[in-house]
Amino acid sequence: MGYDYIRPASLEQALSLAAQGESALIAGGTDLLVALHKKKRPAPGRLISIRSLPELAGIRDEGARLRIGAAVPLADLLAHPAQARLPALAKALGVMGSRQIRNVATLGGTLCNASPGADAAPPLLALGAGVELAGPAGRRTLDLAEFFRGPGRTALQPGEIMTAVLVPWPGAGTQSHFLRRSRVAMDIATVSLAACFGLTNNRLSGVRLAAGAVAPVPLRLRATETFLEGKALTDETLAEAAKLARADVAPISDLRGTAWYRRELVGVFLARALRAGNGGKP
Amino acid sequence: MAKKILRCTVNGRQIELAVAPNQTLVQVLRDELNLTGTKVGCDMGTCGCCTVHINGKAKLSCLTLALECQGAQITTIEGLNQYELHPLQKAFAEKGGSQCGFCTPGFIMKSAALLAENPAPSREEIAAGLSGNLCRCTGYVKIYDAVEQAAQEMQRAEAPAPAPART
Repeated sequence: MGYDYIRPASLEQALSLAAQGESALIAGGTDLLVALHKKKRPAPGRLISIRSLPELAGIRDEGARLRIGAAVPLADLLAHPAQARLPALAKALGVMGSRQIRNVATLGGTLCNASPGADAAPPLLALGAGVELAGPAGRRTLDLAEFFRGPGRTALQPGEIMTAVLVPWPGAGTQSHFLRRSRVAMDIATVSLAACFGLTNNRLSGVRLAAGAVAPVPLRLRATETFLEGKALTDETLAEAAKLARADVAPISDLRGTAWYRRELVGVFLARALRAGNGGKP
Repeated sequence: MAKKILRCTVNGRQIELAVAPNQTLVQVLRDELNLTGTKVGCDMGTCGCCTVHINGKAKLSCLTLALECQGAQITTIEGLNQYELHPLQKAFAEKGGSQCGFCTPGFIMKSAALLAENPAPSREEIAAGLSGNLCRCTGYVKIYDAVEQAAQEMQRAEAPAPAPART
């Protein structure tokens, strides 16, 4: 597990180092160091530390959206006034690891890790978030839904670095909910689900749904969203939506739960999230 | 891999030390600086035994590369209060918040960070604040009692002395 360590002073330097290959990026390191030290992944030639890069720091209100530096620790985001406008995201961040972990682990890190059960992913997907990537060929932004490609796999090209997460502010009257099930505290989710929608005169609008730990990637439940748009919130609607949501996902069975249980829970969580819109308990 | 020079402050003392890139902070604290109060429990970020303060924040020294601490201010259990027991240490002893003692340094460092942020936490806030630290002996009740007592004592110490009674 011998590797070198280098801490570039700017994004430009980091990009030129990353372009040389044989390296891995380290931000918070809470996943990477465990994997390296427990020999769950081969040691890279060197670690490039990006956690202190000024270009990846800071939380900024840009008017229509919130720009969160990729290396912002989860605890900093939770302590920021912006979290009050993003309750589903705040709820997800609050269950990620312990406080000691959240003081270090970064938002960009958890997304680039691309765990199917990453708790921050469903709320960000439901909020319609994007990610900003910098690479040898310049900068690009990508819808977060396009970013995840498989367990541990992302759209990042060799030499690319995630610089920011871009979260559009939810419109007035939009509510957001996050539901999650795990075996014990600080455990990876068995199932998680986030929902953003408006509800006026019992009619749904702007429905965006996302689920975690029920497919190779955290994903939007598109067919269910399309069905729900403009529908009245009734028991029949909920039953039909739950059925569609169960078809929208592709879970596996593992030590945290069976595929059947996960599918079932997606439907249950969806109904709870939508009922919460009418004052029901999520 | 070639060692590199780490310069930082540990418990108020300037440190300059050659460390390997893959050495974690807890390895440097324990093996190089002989600060063995910080314990290694799981060595994978789950148990909280290795909690120290880095620039005032409670972090896990097993998940921190020593070289990430370039220029940082580090406080370990040995430096929490150098000349007498910290109110938390006293309360843990008095309330029986420690049995085998292995998790205790981590609990005390996390509790100190909690009280710096929230000097009068509720019982629930104490439990939530310490949820990243595991104890296999006490069942946590006496630990929470100790943190409550320390919080009260620290608040009394902070409060201005009462004005002399008028006669």
